[in-house]
Amino acid sequence: MGIQTATDLIIDSVKEVLEIDGLEVEVSADMPLIGSESALDSMDLVELCLALEEKASDCGFEFDWTSETAMSRSRSMFRSVKSLSEEYIRQYEARK
Amino acid sequence: MIIVTGASKGLGAAICERFIAEGYDVFGLARDVSELNFDGQACDVSSYDQVKFIAQSLKKNKAVITGIVNAAGIASMNLAVTTPPNITQSIIQTNLVGTIYCCQLFAPLMFRNRCGSIINFSTIAVALGLKGESIYAASKAGVEAFSRTFAREISGFNVRVNCISPGPINTDLLKGVTSKQIDCMVAQQIISKQFVPSNVCDLVEMLLDEKSSSLSGQVLNVGGV
Repeated sequence: MGIQTATDLIIDSVKEVLEIDGLEVEVSADMPLIGSESALDSMDLVELCLALEEKASDCGFEFDWTSETAMSRSRSMFRSVKSLSEEYIRQYEARK
Repeated sequence: MIIVTGASKGLGAAICERFIAEGYDVFGLARDVSELNFDGQACDVSSYDQVKFIAQSLKKNKAVITGIVNAAGIASMNLAVTTPPNITQSIIQTNLVGTIYCCQLFAPLMFRNRCGSIINFSTIAVALGLKGESIYAASKAGVEAFSRTFAREISGFNVRVNCISPGPINTDLLKGVTSKQIDCMVAQQIISKQFVPSNVCDLVEMLLDEKSSSLSGQVLNVGGV
């Protein structure tokens, strides 16, 4: 899996979560996933994590979304689709 | 599968026994599981890493969790001013933080199935403000507040969170409490009698049952206060 594949996977997952809420939103790599500018509410974010956890399992690794930096505004993996993609790849590459 | 923490002793053991007798798949957690005669694993709930390890292995094994009973707890009856800092730390870490860790890490295992019931344990000491139990009561008051709030946070996943708040039940936690003190506690309950572990098991059973699907974020006081 490369960064672009991870980004596409996360964009699709975000779209799927928002579709459940009846929202059709253009999702880009720069889109914030937390904070006031995010289209996702806290429940959506958990839904996204569960979806990514499932997809990670299909790819043979475990996606850990409970790290200490998960919700930090400045260092959070949820700062944007891009930062989440980078973390997703990092965890994929760290798989044993 | 129902996860029960504090499964080796006291109320936790009684709850496991009840559910095993009724044919449920019970997974017990305790610091010492050498005496457990059912499925379980050693886990100190005050350790985030240990709870996380259990959650990860349950996830890997695709365990379907329908209930979590957080019965692990410790007590040390003492005046606040004479309680050493390590005891204070230990009570808060096990009773409050341990309950929080189990909720944080086990609840997502139920989200996917969109159903489940979490039962946390408080104490009558919270409602009555019992002398000599200030730190224990503080840890359990935290559990009540956490449970009410966590119930709201996860209600969208159809997972319910409730608390049972027992009065003096004959378990190891009552060590050091005199019969006079027990009588005094019992006298302050609406139903002035000392209840037994099976009464608590009845409430656990009720809260795990779908018949309680309208209850979340509640504290059930055994005996009433």
